[in-house]
Amino acid sequence: MSTVDLTEERRRRRRAGDPRLSAKGREVLARITTGDLQDEFQEALDSDLASDPTLGPGPDIDVT
Amino acid sequence: MIVVDEYLAVRVLSGDWPVALPDTEDLALPASRHWRLLRRLHGPSGGQLSQILGTLSARDRDTIRFPYPEVFSVLDTRPLLDEAAQIAARYGGLGWLIAETLAAGLTYGKALYFGNERNVGRILHEIADDLGIAVIVAR
Repeated sequence: MSTVDLTEERRRRRRAGDPRLSAKGREVLARITTGDLQDEFQEALDSDLASDPTLGPGPDIDVT
Repeated sequence: MIVVDEYLAVRVLSGDWPVALPDTEDLALPASRHWRLLRRLHGPSGGQLSQILGTLSARDRDTIRFPYPEVFSVLDTRPLLDEAAQIAARYGGLGWLIAETLAAGLTYGKALYFGNERNVGRILHEIADDLGIAVIVAR
């Protein structure tokens, strides 16, 4: 009877990502994080800091 | 526990594991950073980003809204709040995102992993250096 390395199996599953995500969803997320929409994604994240006084620093602090 | 930013959380859930990101510990995203991802999903700001996010199915969106802890978990803010408030007071003028991220870095391994150098920010980088927290950009 073979034994299964649970740690390795867990690591393999984690590296495979979320099984609920469709192939199309993977494509969309790849465009945002490493593809052509990276800049727009970063600008949107930065805009939260500028527009939300609790989340971001005061307007006198340049975080970039 | 390895503390990651929005880029790495999204890359990992889509099965795109960066070479420089260790896979020996669980991953955690600060709540303030999860908030920023949720704002992208629920509050379209116009432009191509909103259009493309609008094409995600409800099931796809759920992977960001309710991440599987096996993939990454969202950090509970409450145990970090006091440390975050101390950091904000010490360095002055910090908001929740930077203070919470630094508190998470102090608490979990004295390291913070980012997926894009632009998402680090100068202030966070300088304070992390001062606090002895390593800032690692894992491409």
